[in-house]
Amino acid sequence: MTRRSRAWRVAAVGLGASIALAGCSGGSGAGSAGGNSSSGSASGPTTIKLVAAEYSKDHTKAFWDKFATDYKAKTGNTLQVQIVSWDDIDQQSSTMVQNNNPPDILNLNAYASYAKDNLLYSSDDVLSASVKSDLLPAFVKSGSYQGKMYGMPDLSSARAMFYNKTLFTKAGIAAPPKTWAEFEADAKKITALGGGDIGYGLPLGPEEAQGEFSIWLFNNGGDWKTDGKWTINSPQNVETLTFLKSLATQKLTQNNPGKTNRQDAFDLFASGKVGMVVGFSPLAGTLDKAGKVDYGVAPMPTKADGGTPQTFGVTDYLMAFKKPGNQAAVKAFYDLYYQPDQVNTFIKAEGFLPVTTTGIAAFASDPKLKTYLDTLPNAHLTPTDDPTWDKVKLAVQQNLGTAMTGDPKAVLDKLQQSAENGG
Amino acid sequence: MTGATGKPAAPVGARPRGRRRATVRGRGAISPLAALVWLAPALLLIVGVVLWPAVELVRASRSRYSITGLRKGPAGWDNFRNVLANDSLGTVLTNTVIWVIAVVALTIAISLGVAQFLTKDFWGRRFVRWAVIVPWAASLVITARLFTLIYSYYYGSINAVLLDLHLITTPIDFLGSDKLIMPSMIAVGVFVSIPFTAYVFVAGLGAIPTEVHEAARIDGGSPWQIWRHITLPLLRPAILVASVMNMIYVFNSFPIVYTLNESNPGFSHDTTITFMYKLAFKSAEKDVGQSAAAGLFNVVIILVAVLVYLRVTRWRDQEEQ
Repeated sequence: MTRRSRAWRVAAVGLGASIALAGCSGGSGAGSAGGNSSSGSASGPTTIKLVAAEYSKDHTKAFWDKFATDYKAKTGNTLQVQIVSWDDIDQQSSTMVQNNNPPDILNLNAYASYAKDNLLYSSDDVLSASVKSDLLPAFVKSGSYQGKMYGMPDLSSARAMFYNKTLFTKAGIAAPPKTWAEFEADAKKITALGGGDIGYGLPLGPEEAQGEFSIWLFNNGGDWKTDGKWTINSPQNVETLTFLKSLATQKLTQNNPGKTNRQDAFDLFASGKVGMVVGFSPLAGTLDKAGKVDYGVAPMPTKADGGTPQTFGVTDYLMAFKKPGNQAAVKAFYDLYYQPDQVNTFIKAEGFLPVTTTGIAAFASDPKLKTYLDTLPNAHLTPTDDPTWDKVKLAVQQNLGTAMTGDPKAVLDKLQQSAENGG
Repeated sequence: MTGATGKPAAPVGARPRGRRRATVRGRGAISPLAALVWLAPALLLIVGVVLWPAVELVRASRSRYSITGLRKGPAGWDNFRNVLANDSLGTVLTNTVIWVIAVVALTIAISLGVAQFLTKDFWGRRFVRWAVIVPWAASLVITARLFTLIYSYYYGSINAVLLDLHLITTPIDFLGSDKLIMPSMIAVGVFVSIPFTAYVFVAGLGAIPTEVHEAARIDGGSPWQIWRHITLPLLRPAILVASVMNMIYVFNSFPIVYTLNESNPGFSHDTTITFMYKLAFKSAEKDVGQSAAAGLFNVVIILVAVLVYLRVTRWRDQEEQ
């Protein structure tokens, strides 16, 4: 064997390997096999497929498996359930659509781009009138693209300020801050305790930078979009981001806030080192389970003295893909899901907030949820009804953190520009 | 692209086939159909695992996609142009070059030492040999995740040890500092590449006849001379194979860079592989077409790099002879 042919062989093996790898990661890998997801006949039993995001290891799969059994018993149709982690679901759903093999129902945090691509049923096609009238108006609005509702909310959450009571007492802080000035002073007092205590856990890393920034800018009278126009670089928003940067430069936050993900900030708070963090009900669940931190939940401080605290609300969606012969089965799916004993069971197990009027009534008895429930109907949401937001959100996640070491105005100007150019 | 992919495969496929046909004719009797039946499983595998994804990749790179993954029509060369026009491309390519060269060079250097050690007779050698395999056997994602904990600013064991020894007063931000993240990733890359490389060298060392070393010792060669002029040249084929495999492997390595770099915004510490993934699913582009185009660039880059490497090493061979 000559050296030359060996070299060729090594090169050929390598080429094959890299093509195979590139092919897979390029997203053209085979979709999941074994999906006769739409059996043509509308009258007989139908099989539909649900791809759902994993909110928690313990509850999500358990709920949907049970739901599939109930669904089969009630309608005779079969529901295939596939649970996908949040890390992978964008990739999986994109690959499924790309291979022309979307699920019948997809659970995701965005829907508008899918509606724009004309892939989805609207509520007129698949939602019973009684079900739709029970949904909270704020979520009907956020789920509507060009006047029609495509994004059916599965659950919601609202953010609030979590504070560590032990650290507050140690630092001599009597009550949670009501204004940004008080907030900054309190963060300074906690940081001054020394011993590695952190005033405020600020996560502006790529995981959910848009969420953290949203709640702060809403409490400064800002918004992502105002009257149908993008206002990402509005004076209020620049002021808000500059304020957050000043917290970082004064070292009132954890190390490197522009590169800290939300989960890392939560973990730090759960370790008892952090004075304040913006959290939501699942964080409360985690903290209660661990029982290590004595915490309180308060409304967000506002920029203005005596302002009304604003909440940032988030909802995820269950959207239905138009496929031949699946409409009746999909409608039956929604009818069953929005039964109070289904949707509320799911939301309760996952520790989130309701999306229906009957749900709010059912959850009202829980004193722990009162702070959120009161604010939920008036919560601000991100502009999920605009397909452009789906790209702007990603741009925000990938760029906002750079403002912590760079120029906040320049960062927001660039985001504004990309939003005006359609993302 | 298809021309490039077809070309190197041809000599490998053609030669053995030609040889076999000659012998078959000599004995006189297998119909082409029967031959095809026997070859079918292998052919199917090649078509399914190599050709089909490659064709799909080319098709995707020439298509326009919605953010949802829906194909909207042909895109011509737009995806390729957009990838080349990306502001971060220069940074990503520089990162890739540093990443591949540093990891492969360090891996080869360290593995040479490890292999020498593993071929010596000592008590517990079997145990050490097994232990060396562990980083290789563990899933890369798990290893990378473990290292994010080891490197962590607040909980990391490295920082804890350094603080306890009073070598530093504030923790080191291994994964957040723009200066330190690349060396931190390289260290992990080397850690997981050593086992395979060391074992290739162990095999290579085992293949060197002991007589050669004995003769050199009798002639009065010092250990260094023996290693430099006997062991190293005879190990050359193993080093060649290990370098090429490592180059491809490290170039295509996704989990380490992706996991350790997870909390850093933007593309500033990505290699071409994670760049390609983020283009498709995480960045504001969120464009499968651009990602496919980047994927084809990746294939070309690694192919060219490997061929250049092989040419350079062969040229040195001839010069020495």
